[in-house]
Amino acid sequence: MLSVQEASLSFGGIHALSELTFEAKQGEITAIIGPNGAGKTSLFNIISGFYKPQAGRVFFQDQDITHARPDKRAALGIARTFQNIALFRGMTVLENIKLGSHSRLKSGLFDSGIYYGAARREEIALRNELERDVIDFLELDHIRNLHVATLPYGLQKRVELARALALQPKVLLLDEPVAGMNREETEDIARFILDIQERWNTTILLVEHDMSMVMDISDQVIVLNFGKQIASGTPKDVQNNPAVIEAYLGTSAKGAA
Amino acid sequence: MIIGEYKTDYGQDEGIWNTWAKKLGFVVALLLLLLIPFIGNDYQLLMAGQIAIFVIAVVGLNVLVGYTGLMSLGHGAFFALGAYTTVALHQFFPHLFPLITLIISMVVAGFFGFLFGLPSLRVKGLYLAVATLSANFIVLFFIRQDWLEHLTGGRGGIETPNAYFFGTELITNQQKYFLIVPIAIVMFLFAQNLFRSRFGRALIAIRDNDHSAEILGISLFNYKLKSFVISAAYCGAAGTLWAYFFPAILPEDFGLNMSITLLICLVAGGMGRSLGPIFGTILILMVPELLKMGAFYFSEGNASAQIYFSPIRDIVFGLMIIGFLIFEPMGLVSIWDRFWRFINRWPFAK
Amino acid sequence: MGQFSQYVMNGIMNGSVYALIALGIVSIFKSTKVVNFAQGHVIMFGAYFYFTFSVMLPEATFMPDWVLKWEPEWLAAYKEGALMFSPKAAIAGWVNNLPRIILGIIGAVICNGILGLLIERVFMRPLLGQSSFAMILCTIGLIWVLEGSASLIWTADVDQVPPLGPNFPIRFTLFGEQVFFFSASVVNFGLALFLFGLLMLVLRFTRSGVAIRATAEDQSTAYAMGINVPAVFSSAWVIASTTGAFAGAILASRNGLSPTLGLFGLSVLAIVLMGGLDSFLGVLIAAMLVGIFESLTQWQLGGEIAEIVPYVLVLIVIIWRPNGLLGQAEIERI
Ligand SMILES: Nc1ncnc2c1ncn2[C@@H]1O[C@H](COP(=O)(O)OP(=O)(O)OP(=O)(O)O)[C@@H](O)[C@H]1O
Ligand SMILES: [Mg+2]
Repeated sequence: MLSVQEASLSFGGIHALSELTFEAKQGEITAIIGPNGAGKTSLFNIISGFYKPQAGRVFFQDQDITHARPDKRAALGIARTFQNIALFRGMTVLENIKLGSHSRLKSGLFDSGIYYGAARREEIALRNELERDVIDFLELDHIRNLHVATLPYGLQKRVELARALALQPKVLLLDEPVAGMNREETEDIARFILDIQERWNTTILLVEHDMSMVMDISDQVIVLNFGKQIASGTPKDVQNNPAVIEAYLGTSAKGAA
Repeated sequence: MIIGEYKTDYGQDEGIWNTWAKKLGFVVALLLLLLIPFIGNDYQLLMAGQIAIFVIAVVGLNVLVGYTGLMSLGHGAFFALGAYTTVALHQFFPHLFPLITLIISMVVAGFFGFLFGLPSLRVKGLYLAVATLSANFIVLFFIRQDWLEHLTGGRGGIETPNAYFFGTELITNQQKYFLIVPIAIVMFLFAQNLFRSRFGRALIAIRDNDHSAEILGISLFNYKLKSFVISAAYCGAAGTLWAYFFPAILPEDFGLNMSITLLICLVAGGMGRSLGPIFGTILILMVPELLKMGAFYFSEGNASAQIYFSPIRDIVFGLMIIGFLIFEPMGLVSIWDRFWRFINRWPFAK
Repeated sequence: MGQFSQYVMNGIMNGSVYALIALGIVSIFKSTKVVNFAQGHVIMFGAYFYFTFSVMLPEATFMPDWVLKWEPEWLAAYKEGALMFSPKAAIAGWVNNLPRIILGIIGAVICNGILGLLIERVFMRPLLGQSSFAMILCTIGLIWVLEGSASLIWTADVDQVPPLGPNFPIRFTLFGEQVFFFSASVVNFGLALFLFGLLMLVLRFTRSGVAIRATAEDQSTAYAMGINVPAVFSSAWVIASTTGAFAGAILASRNGLSPTLGLFGLSVLAIVLMGGLDSFLGVLIAAMLVGIFESLTQWQLGGEIAEIVPYVLVLIVIIWRPNGLLGQAEIERI
């Protein structure tokens, strides 16, 4: 479905990714974990096209997208959320969500300028669809006309998820979707993620530091450290893997254990 | 307390004429525009025509600067291209139908807009401002060249043609009003509509956060360039009407001063707001006239005092632009908004 | 070859004046992140102040005569028998003017410093923290304010101002051809480079220089470290306007005075971007390049094309290197 082969990315002397290879399976939730600076966000960045890897390739549905522009990848059905919220701060929740569906829509310059006709029809159809599939689904109806900048952090993250969902993605990349949330909000988001997987059979990649959530919902877990994959497998396998324990707790923990 | 809005489907929610006040306002404005040519004197029609032409250009600039967030200090060049294209076309086809001239000018200006826009794919902000400023100087440089003199009149300027509308020559300001204002209205509405659906939304997204826009599927290449082309074409259209409206043009008319005046109109009115260009242009074009009247009044027609007029006008302009930036950075539109908020809430709250 | 080197050297001399003007733009940008579109107009004020203190004031009736023309006895003796246009006559003429040149420079530096301070306090300070777009527009508004004020204040017809150094022709042969300069240009060249170097030393080695560089690096951290950031902003504007006073005096003596002198600022802005906004060295290189190219185009293609040389060059350079020759790329993260 989505695979990365021997990808390397470095910034000056820092190797954010080195010869990383992994694959996400259709319809599964793949979690990517690792200590701070392990290269998780960098991995998302080469998948969504914000950075180009210096070596290696990225494949999506057997198509080589290593050199495709980010907007082309979105059109293929890759959507993501950001670790540091990247909403359009001047816009309302609804406008942000509508932007997510940009690549699925058709009306161009002249349709838009004339508005009455094709653009209006498309706009109303889109609105109906988004209300049903995204806004109701993620329980955002009460805030749809508020400006995103006025929303609390947790809701902003949820709007970002909504915006990504509006793309009707085949692959959804979630970068720390519950960071900074309390237990209850975390459970809400976990439930949404499972619902998305079930309802649309979406392939989901999840970067998250909240281990209990990762272990609860993911089908496969990949552990990164210093840009390399150090373990992978089911949540259970990974939990008991000594290399993982070492990466998280440091070498001294080994002696203590 | 805001009185409730009653809507039964999402289509209604997407509309823009969604309150009776807006509908009424639009109708009243149209009626006024229709009345002006019959009640205004020649001088007032001169001002009205000039304002309408500038509104077109500033609406275009708003697409680029206000909505897409790209800076330009070179839009005077597109104005020039429109005006000079018109003059050149009429040398070959003296009775060319004005709408055809208009479209050709828009295409020519739009093409140069595409060229000006190319740096915007690599450079941002200030660098783009200086790149466009440079392009403006370069375009005017070519217009002044001797080897183009038969088309452009060179540095000495050139007389401009009048428009022929089905055999009638448009000579008086009143006649020209009926050409200019309808075009201005159509172009204004077109630009306003852009931002109600996919295309315009993409431009605003680029302004707010270009990287996440791109990752959502908006091609920066495509949309930045289109934004440049649209805004250039609008200025080109304004240039054509300018050539029809005034008896002659000079290269200097379209230099940095013009580019900056367009920006000032936009800032004074309110960037990224549909009514901004209208408010701003009216204010900025009226101020020198008011100053002129004031100067005439205080100097009691004394000609030697008139030499102070142009420096004083410059100072007032400069202070106005700075004043707006400091005290009303969102422009006149935000005063307008406050006014309507007050009306909507009255008498329940202040 | 001789002709060529003549034009290259002319270009370098002009380039040094560009560099001096650019210095002001760069120091303001480095500390305040504001790009001053009106720097040329600040310089124009410097030129007019220099005119006021070196021509208008000495000519006033209440000033003692020696300010306008200083004729000590030893000078008369020295001048004895000197030919017109000879170095000796030129040096003597320069000493005649020395009191008013000094008065002019001091007056221009002080008045322009005050002007810079005023601009920062009245116009720029209230915009602190606004977008760079607003800042740019504000300095553009400033252009009109300054241009209008200058033509209101200095309405009288303007005279020649005295050049900063003695002015005589220098001739020598290079690659078998006659090469020729005016000594005043050489003095201007030296002065511009001296000021440029001086400022770089000040920034590197003095306490306030460190404060300016710290602010340039990160404003809020500088605040937190106890640096008086508003004072840094003021001093940046003062540095720009005082060096601008020298540039103004040079331009006034070289190109004459007019309210359009400020337009120089825009071509220098192009130079600054070409060099890379935050790099003194890059800007120096760009200034020299533009000076040389301008002078070579003038030689080969005529004066008119030379006008647009900076604009063409800046377009080429920033499309090729979006942050200028030596400017640092901003790291973008998501
Ligand atoms: N644009 C950049 N320039 C320089 N270094 C970068 C850049 N982006 C990432 N890095 C570096 O690459 C390494 C990997 O960063 P990355 O953001 O991928 O880590 P991460 O696993 O997402 O960490 P976290 O859990 O903190 O989000 C880090 O050392 C980081 O500092
Ligand atoms: Mg990360």
